[in-house]
Amino acid sequence: MNIAELQAYGYFALTIFMVVILYSYIYHLYSKKKNADGCDYENYSNMALKDDVTDTPVSAISDDKEK
Amino acid sequence: MENRPLEYDYTVAKMFMLTTILTGIVGMLIGVILAFELAFPGINTILGDGLAEYTNFSRLRPLHTDAVIFGFTLSGVFATWYYVGQRVLKVSMAESGFLMFIGKLHFTLYVVGVIAVIVSLLAGVTTSKEYAEFEWPIDIAIVVVWVLWGMSIFGLIGIRREKSLYISVWYYIATFLGIAMLYLFNNMEIPTMLAASPAGETGFGAWYHSVSMYSGTNDALVQWWYGHNAVAFGFTVPIVAMIYYFLPKESGQAIYSYKLSLLSFWGLMFVYLWAGGHHLLFSTVPDWVQTMGSIFSVVLILPSWGSAINMLLTMKGEWQQVAASPLIKFMVLASTFYMFSTLEGPIQAIKSVNAIAHFTDWIVGHVHDGVLGWVGFMIMAALFHMAPRVFKRELYSKSLMATQFWIQTLGVVLYFTSMWIAGITQGMMWRAHDEFGNLAYSFIDTVTVLHPYYTIRGVGGLLYLVGFLMFAYNIYKTMTSGRRVEENELQSASPMGA
Amino acid sequence: MFHWLEKHPFFFAVGVFLAIAFAGLVEILPNFAQASRPVIGTAPYSTLELAGRQVYIKNSCNACHSQLIRPFKSETDRYGHYSLSGEYAYDRPFLWGSKRTGPDLMRVGNYRTTDWHENHMKDPTGVVPGSIMPAYNWMFTNNADINTAYAEQLTVAQFFSVPYNKPVPMKDGSTKIVKMGASVAEANADALAEAKVIAADMKDQNIKDAIARGEIPEIVAIIAYLNSLK
Repeated sequence: MNIAELQAYGYFALTIFMVVILYSYIYHLYSKKKNADGCDYENYSNMALKDDVTDTPVSAISDDKEK
Repeated sequence: MENRPLEYDYTVAKMFMLTTILTGIVGMLIGVILAFELAFPGINTILGDGLAEYTNFSRLRPLHTDAVIFGFTLSGVFATWYYVGQRVLKVSMAESGFLMFIGKLHFTLYVVGVIAVIVSLLAGVTTSKEYAEFEWPIDIAIVVVWVLWGMSIFGLIGIRREKSLYISVWYYIATFLGIAMLYLFNNMEIPTMLAASPAGETGFGAWYHSVSMYSGTNDALVQWWYGHNAVAFGFTVPIVAMIYYFLPKESGQAIYSYKLSLLSFWGLMFVYLWAGGHHLLFSTVPDWVQTMGSIFSVVLILPSWGSAINMLLTMKGEWQQVAASPLIKFMVLASTFYMFSTLEGPIQAIKSVNAIAHFTDWIVGHVHDGVLGWVGFMIMAALFHMAPRVFKRELYSKSLMATQFWIQTLGVVLYFTSMWIAGITQGMMWRAHDEFGNLAYSFIDTVTVLHPYYTIRGVGGLLYLVGFLMFAYNIYKTMTSGRRVEENELQSASPMGA
Repeated sequence: MFHWLEKHPFFFAVGVFLAIAFAGLVEILPNFAQASRPVIGTAPYSTLELAGRQVYIKNSCNACHSQLIRPFKSETDRYGHYSLSGEYAYDRPFLWGSKRTGPDLMRVGNYRTTDWHENHMKDPTGVVPGSIMPAYNWMFTNNADINTAYAEQLTVAQFFSVPYNKPVPMKDGSTKIVKMGASVAEANADALAEAKVIAADMKDQNIKDAIARGEIPEIVAIIAYLNSLK
């Protein structure tokens, strides 16, 4: 088996791997309405809309520390 | 300090806004001069024969591309980062003396670098590699500037209050990493000052000169892997970062689908880098690399349109805002031009189309509908949105903005239509054979035929420059004499004077 | 897993980097050694030719002229044999260009002469009516930088084993030795000797005077380079 053949198998395996990652990511995004912080992905848009320094963060980093 | 409410600190953002406008004027002015030099070659010696060396097309051409890429666009990227970064991470630069210092140092060294680039390119000190023309001393300076920006990005992220990173921050991080990788590998070079002759002499020849680590075909492969993706990570990724923040904010609409924005991000990251081979179709690089370049260029339509459509759908049900606000007009047209040029690019990357298009003005037209229509419009829109907030003043004139919008749109349309015709005309003439199988046209026939299109292109470019000067004036007047506004007027739509 | 990544900027950055570095690894690396081997008949540049190449780069000639002939009948009819990878083995940097505002120059040495270039550089429209190329008069007064060219020769010989002072196979079965001087003085003397041959075919009296004084104007160097493109 020469290097080109090895590369070919490598590419094939990698392509399959990438496809699996892609679809599991899509599944991850759309299956969970709520994530670990209890907020929907779509809520993250509010990071731009409510971005004054006095606004409450969508998922504050200090929440972690309090726990 | 404790008694004063915390505020975002836009000092560094303001500095980069200034260089965005200045280098924008310089880069676009040189572009207009170059355009007219092609239409009317007499302009090459416009300052007399003595200075012809410095007003000549070939000397100015790298200065135009670099002023627009590394001056205008990069300044715009930095300016918006120092604005958007603080806001979506909900942390002020004023909270960290260290980050403030880094930011100011970043700006200072950046200006030094810009001046060094202008001087050296005018003097003809260049490595000839497109958008990587700088010799090694400037390369090192650029790396330092880049590292400082990285420290600023990750420093600000390190002290953030918002746990998750907003999609724009993703794109800024990708810009930082992408350019860092590409720039380092493409500029691998050995200074010739290290040479020692067999007789033992050292230190002769120009100290700044260097020789590329790669030769011939390899050099071309690395260069266009860089060249194509410098466009990706300079002209696409950070501009997408801007539109994902500024369009929702200005219109008050949440992104149509935040999930789609994440998917498009990973799609763009993975696919973009493969497409560089389309610059080298029918060259001496391996055939499979060329084919990969072609295929991935077409695949690239998906993530690009994912972002662009997401932005247009964000305006769903709110299209009256497009009619009402020139600022929204700029962003919606930018997004439209993004869709347009990310469709045009893949078409040009198809081998049989590329056989005609490569080496012609169609490619120049493609670059410019992307840069003038998408990058330029988006950066100007971002600065328009930022101005009232960083200066706490109303935008000076809404009608001036609207006029500027239409003048520049007309300019872009004239530019790319004339370049389409010029490119396809020339491409077809080059390959035309007569009935006996001889070439139908000598090369000069294919040049003189372009004169009218070069003239139209020059006029298009000039209109865009005029619009940009109106933009600069509008921002200046906003800064100096706009009506002062209160914080509560700045929630979404920017306040504009008549 | 994905969500965790989104909240840890460092690992997120690593992920992004992997995604973007991947293509480069696959596309560029495997072919590296193969593409840089010279074909028979390709010799390194002499000191004067290299100085001329630097003049070509200094004036960004590559902004308007390509050096890449694609394998189409219309291109081989116009410019000669299509380009081969190994022909570029000694080109650092490559000068393929990306735009043909003017014609390709890959094999310009086959069909243009020293005096053609001399007249053309002074007054392009006098030679090609309708040309939009500007004149390059300063090349007749500026002197070429032979020392830098010599430093570049030494650098490529040392780091990339470019075969200077060694026999290189030619197409007709013979060998050719491209000389590199042993000292700065010798390199300059070699370049001057080569420049004299070029200048003998030129008309400009100022150039002939300069050569007689021991100076090498840029125009002589760039013509030496253009003549070497075959």
